[in-house]
Amino acid sequence: MIPLTPHLLPLTPYTRCILDGRIIVITSGKGGVGKTTATASIGAALAMEGKRVVVIDMDIGLRNLDVVMGLENRIIYNVVDAVKGKCKIKQAAIKDRRIENLYLIPASQSDNKNVLSPEEMVGFREIISKEFDYVLMDCPAGIERGFENSVAAADEAIVICAPEVSSVRDADRVIGLLYARSITPKLVVNRIVPEMVERGDMLNHSDVVDVLSIELIGLVPMDDQVVVCTNTGMPLVLQKKSLAGEAFRRIALRINGMADLPIEVPQSQSRFWKKLGTRLGLGK
Amino acid sequence: MSSPRKIRQQMEEKANQEKASVRLKGLGDSLYVTLDPARPPEQLQKELDRLFTRMKHLAVNARVILDTGEQDSHGDLIEHLGKFLKNTFGVGSVLEPPRKRLVSEEQARRQDMESSWHNYRSDVLMLAGRVRSGQNVTARKHLLIMGDVNPGAVISAGGDILVMGRLRGIAAAGQPDNQDVIILALDFQPTQIQIGGVMAAGLPPSPRKVPEFAYMENGAIVVEDYLDADPFGRLTWPQVR
Repeated sequence: MIPLTPHLLPLTPYTRCILDGRIIVITSGKGGVGKTTATASIGAALAMEGKRVVVIDMDIGLRNLDVVMGLENRIIYNVVDAVKGKCKIKQAAIKDRRIENLYLIPASQSDNKNVLSPEEMVGFREIISKEFDYVLMDCPAGIERGFENSVAAADEAIVICAPEVSSVRDADRVIGLLYARSITPKLVVNRIVPEMVERGDMLNHSDVVDVLSIELIGLVPMDDQVVVCTNTGMPLVLQKKSLAGEAFRRIALRINGMADLPIEVPQSQSRFWKKLGTRLGLGK
Repeated sequence: MSSPRKIRQQMEEKANQEKASVRLKGLGDSLYVTLDPARPPEQLQKELDRLFTRMKHLAVNARVILDTGEQDSHGDLIEHLGKFLKNTFGVGSVLEPPRKRLVSEEQARRQDMESSWHNYRSDVLMLAGRVRSGQNVTARKHLLIMGDVNPGAVISAGGDILVMGRLRGIAAAGQPDNQDVIILALDFQPTQIQIGGVMAAGLPPSPRKVPEFAYMENGAIVVEDYLDADPFGRLTWPQVR
């Protein structure tokens, strides 16, 4: 427990973070780099740590977080209803049956992003942060209204970036926009293929960090399991053999206070055996 | 020729000459007399006599400054006229104007070195940090960035641009029409550069990580190794840019 005397603290965004739940937006600028997978996985991993977690799909009109989490056939209310006050948050939040304390507020599929405004989202933040320890928002691609809405409600941000030049460019832009809103984002480099990095065909994660120069909180390897889990709606972090799932679990631990948990660099299988061989005195 | 006209002309000339030879004005608590040392002393004395007679008792005990212009001093002349003024009109003191000291070029340079750009108001916008994609930095004159300029960022300046880091974005120097500027970066990999109104894009990436700079030569943008080219080494004297 943090020894705090709440009544003595001024109500700044920072103290609000301590007292209420943390609202984290997961964004990337570019589409298809793994925001939705990351949101679902980090949310599930945080819930497995015993925290009350809600993941919100902010991609209004193009919802898919519900599919990734396997909850699509239980949707009754959505985030637009919750923000507009048409339903209670408890009604909109769908409880995951496999992982305790994990909830989903899905996006509306029939509206578009302009039905919500950043002002409404700021109001929504006050309500939702009282009910949960972590609120993870899956931001839509782009930097338009959907991004504005997601960022308006957030205290923190995680930027997902793939080791591609185009993704780095967009992430850089998004980081600038977040800084302009006084949010210091953290970085996850997703979809790393260690073999390609070793061959020099893919950007090294250190190149990405060099350009973006924000705090790195995780490196996630490319993993076929992601496709399987996304299609079947299974939580990735429950797959024992999934390298990506393991990486997301470690990211969740880092978010949840274990800041000095070392960051593991994804390595190819061949390199692992080579290393082992060198260590045993084989090879050169 | 009509004689009245000629006579009037002569009179005007004479008046002009006399007017120009000795002039008198009040300066603070003194009388400032400007003399033309080229005229004969007698004429000057006569003219002084005329002016001071008109002033009567006002000249008594007055401080008089006799200025013979900025050329060589006319000590004898001033002494002679001073004595005349003291004896005739009872002026208090006769002085020479305070001379402006002539400064040698060497001294001027030292002065330049020591003080001139202490008081020079800097026209440089100096920023530390990373300029990210989508951000725009515009400086009225020179721009110095201590940090990197990411691809997608645009920096522009009325004068030079110096990037103490990687330049990977767009840099426009000498906007709108100054072509006598440089763009320097420790790691020079811009997506596009502009100098004055001239644009260069698709620069081949430099194999070596050396400080490079771009400048205009014969209407084209040239990029060179900064230390090899040493563009300002040939300036023998530091100048304010």
